[in-house]
Amino acid sequence: METNNISVIKVRDILMVTMPPDPDDTAMSALQERVLAAMERYEAKGVVLDISAVETLDSFFARTVSESAQMVAIMGGRTVIVGMRPAVAVTATQIGLTLGNIETALTVERALDLVATRTAARKSR
Amino acid sequence: MSSPPGGELSIDTEGDIVATRRTVRGLAVDLGFGLTDVTRIVTAASELARNVYKYGGGGVMRWRHLQDGSRPGIELQFIDHGPGIADIDLALQEGYSTGRGLGLGLPAAKRLMDEMDIQSAAGAGTQITLKKWRSN
Repeated sequence: METNNISVIKVRDILMVTMPPDPDDTAMSALQERVLAAMERYEAKGVVLDISAVETLDSFFARTVSESAQMVAIMGGRTVIVGMRPAVAVTATQIGLTLGNIETALTVERALDLVATRTAARKSR
Repeated sequence: MSSPPGGELSIDTEGDIVATRRTVRGLAVDLGFGLTDVTRIVTAASELARNVYKYGGGGVMRWRHLQDGSRPGIELQFIDHGPGIADIDLALQEGYSTGRGLGLGLPAAKRLMDEMDIQSAAGAGTQITLKKWRSN
């Protein structure tokens, strides 16, 4: 379904991944493969995962995103989650979904800054 | 008095998990639950629908409106004829999982709803009933 598609675009050195409002489990599993393939193809420095449209964050969603972020980290990238809705944040916290140790940001701009900062820090080494 | 509205939805494909979320969201919104409670109810339904599909070999969700005096509520029942839960107390422990999950499904649903009842035995399927009452 078109509305279920996960969009992956490259913005400078960073992958912008936008989640649809209600992705099914297959779409979530495809997220991992698509993000890792795009990391390699574009030699991206990191991933900004926009979940501002996401209405339900359950344990399967949390696990898939956490695993994806770990894989991105192994490839040398940084993942920042952006735009979690307040009701989703309340629910996720109540059931103990921590999303691993993924960083979060309130806006896409701040998330892009976070990933870019790490890139700059690496270059200066 | 007419019987309160209710219905049934089959959970036999992965897409039915999404259909369950959509149906439950519509029901909860119609009953006047606030956005945070709607999100809680839909999240709990998503966990249990996935359990029915993945571990129960498919089944159904039955739903109905509840009324306690002036207070409306919602009841969601998830029924499968799968292998059942041998040890319910163990299944309710966070982190316990027989599958590839986080073992958060059942404990999450219990935390997010007001009431949860589990009827199950090894080899006898599983019937889980969730209730949530509107707070205002």
